[in-house]
Amino acid sequence: MESFSFYSMSAVALVSALLVVTLRNAVHSALFLGLSLAAVGGLYAVLGADFLFGGQILVYVGGIAVLIMFVVMLLGRASDLHLRQVNNQWMAALLVCGISFLGLWKVIGLFTASKTQTPPRPTTHELGRLMLAEYAVPFELISLVLLAALLGAIFFSHIDKKEPS
Amino acid sequence: MTLAHYLIIGAALFLIGLFGALTRRNVIGILMSIELMFNAANINLAAFNRFLHPEGVAGQAVALFIITIAAAEVVVGLALVLAIVRNTDTLYVEEFNLLKG
Repeated sequence: MESFSFYSMSAVALVSALLVVTLRNAVHSALFLGLSLAAVGGLYAVLGADFLFGGQILVYVGGIAVLIMFVVMLLGRASDLHLRQVNNQWMAALLVCGISFLGLWKVIGLFTASKTQTPPRPTTHELGRLMLAEYAVPFELISLVLLAALLGAIFFSHIDKKEPS
Repeated sequence: MTLAHYLIIGAALFLIGLFGALTRRNVIGILMSIELMFNAANINLAAFNRFLHPEGVAGQAVALFIITIAAAEVVVGLALVLAIVRNTDTLYVEEFNLLKG
């Protein structure tokens, strides 16, 4: 059962990620990005990370993918569908990715022996305790980062009405 | 399922994202590829936590921090993209040459 979930979720994640980077229509790319992120959330569930699964669906699929979809529809033009969406360095990029994959494959070969024995258990209680005890300072810093991002987004997307354009 | 299966999926997802970030002309496409790379890192963190340290949840806590940082990054990135596109009237990164004057 675990291997069926693993293989189906990773197939969906990888195929839709490939479609994200190759499709010409940016709206389709954004839709497949949402599907790929949801499949990665499924992989978290297979790994027994239940709170991470919920956070992935809430923040990534419900927040980031929808936000990207909004901006794509705000800025997209019909003429984009007839233009090439890939620059002329794609062969060099493919070479870089292939060589990196060979190197990563060799490193991953060191980890084949490890197997899991313990069944997964609920993690929410322990994560909450960790956030307010050992990771309290990073937790507060993250809230500052979110506040700065909020103010920055308002500042950069603000239009000055009085300025003649 | 061994740890290596998850690490291979993470590596493949990361390299797909890297390929997209290197080759897309559309700036929103580059942002989407960067999101894929963040997710690959998170898969690796959750897998290492499950297989090497199943008694703790520190890897999942770091993955949660990464999800938060990614949300902040994409919000600021999309606001910057909106401002740049309003000024230059194009979505393609090779035409972003504001520093040339």
